[in-house]
Amino acid sequence: MKRKRRTEILINGSEKLAAKLADEIISRYEVIQVEEPNDGLVMVKVRESAKRSLFYIGEVLVTECKVRIHDSAGIGIVAGHKEELAFHLAVIDAAYQARLKETKDWDKQLLEEEKAIKSERVKQMAHVMKTKVDFETMDIS
Amino acid sequence: MGYVAVKGGTRAIEESIKRLKYERLKNGTVLDVGQIEGGMRSLIDQVMSESSLYSPLLASLAIKQAEGSPEEAVFLLRAYRSTLPRKHYSRVAEPERMRVERRISASFKDIPGGQVLGATTDYTHRLLDFELMSETEEAVQRWLSDFYEDSFRSDEKVPSEYFPKVLDYLRKEGLMEICEIDDTEPDDVTKKSLKFPSSRSQRLQILTRGQTGAVTSLAYAVIRGYGTLHPTVGELRVGSLPVYIDDPVNESQEEEESYYIGDVKVSEAEMLVPVTVEKERGIEEVEFEVGYGICYGQNETKAIAMGILDNSLEQGEARYPTQDEEFVLYHIDSVESTGFISHLKMPHYVTFQSKLDSARKTKQTEKVREGQKDEITL
Repeated sequence: MKRKRRTEILINGSEKLAAKLADEIISRYEVIQVEEPNDGLVMVKVRESAKRSLFYIGEVLVTECKVRIHDSAGIGIVAGHKEELAFHLAVIDAAYQARLKETKDWDKQLLEEEKAIKSERVKQMAHVMKTKVDFETMDIS
Repeated sequence: MGYVAVKGGTRAIEESIKRLKYERLKNGTVLDVGQIEGGMRSLIDQVMSESSLYSPLLASLAIKQAEGSPEEAVFLLRAYRSTLPRKHYSRVAEPERMRVERRISASFKDIPGGQVLGATTDYTHRLLDFELMSETEEAVQRWLSDFYEDSFRSDEKVPSEYFPKVLDYLRKEGLMEICEIDDTEPDDVTKKSLKFPSSRSQRLQILTRGQTGAVTSLAYAVIRGYGTLHPTVGELRVGSLPVYIDDPVNESQEEEESYYIGDVKVSEAEMLVPVTVEKERGIEEVEFEVGYGICYGQNETKAIAMGILDNSLEQGEARYPTQDEEFVLYHIDSVESTGFISHLKMPHYVTFQSKLDSARKTKQTEKVREGQKDEITL
């Protein structure tokens, strides 16, 4: 699974999944922490729709962590102050970079988590759609 | 007279800071940061937007420390932000890809996807709810449980969280210019000071981090006559905008290999402004321009006001203060304006003494002249 989809699932889903996958790696491989989880900023670039140009809306606080497994580097970065999650994300990222065999079995778990995220969002959206206005034309004759 | 340099006040300042802490704590109430984050959504959104730093947790802490003063909380966050390293720049976030939780248009009744009110105070009676005085945790849990049960039983087909842009409708009809995508790297006012004439990216950055009240007041002035616009809300949406960064190790720009870092909640307003355009052979036609507003959090008034000021500044006629970029952009920043006004409280003994000296000298000269006049009259 590509990184974009993977990180969406791991960040939007339960933090337990990231912890579980990372633990599988930590218990079997030497994980070297290159950069401990630390706070920093990401500047967010937005496209506006009047002239379709770019500008900066502001920064987001993030926690970032870097690890190494064998010769492969992994980065974990997540909005907010979440040291543990950043570390787990970095381990998972490095595992994919190092093409460790464990990652081959992860797709199923990730897809299941994605399904749960989607189902929760459908529920949320169903509720939001209750606030959709149902216009009635008034008889003014 | 001569001036004497003085120093002092260290102890008084220490005691004053202690007294400030006493004011915060004297009732014995320990305000939990989690409670602020849970219940002060609008204030947190305002503080994050004005400080230009998205972090509900830090905003809540700043609000606690500042005892609820938005200007002080913004000051604290701006100061803290300056201590953190900027690690990355995001990929371009497209508000069109926002997961919408509220989306309305004041210009068109029937819009694809419909008018979705979401959570809004717009239709509340604004009657003070005294029942909140005795709200209990049990009652809240009961209410929530009923809410979930009632809400999530829907088995109707649920539409997508993504909504088409209302204004695409006008673009398709040819009533609005279709701009080419402009990928020029934006300027950053936090890295390089603003100079005039400003770039569009600088203007939008300053507007989005502007003080809510100042941005709103100036936009109101535009409509009241200190400008030329009377816009309508083409589309207003509130929702979550996903943020991604490119792979910094391999310097890949492939979207599928980017890192998702989380969502930011934003309010976005596209303001429709009718303009008369002269076409071939002097024929005049009405077209629409868009004023663009977006800000962190649910702060719709600010997003709309920003949209109004964006279009106003694009006009750039110096006779209207609200079209004068220096007038608008130099006065709407919270830290700059409140900082300058409140610095007037700091000791100005020397400057004031020199003014006092001048005033005394003028008075003395006048007295001498009056004395001379009296002598002549005699």
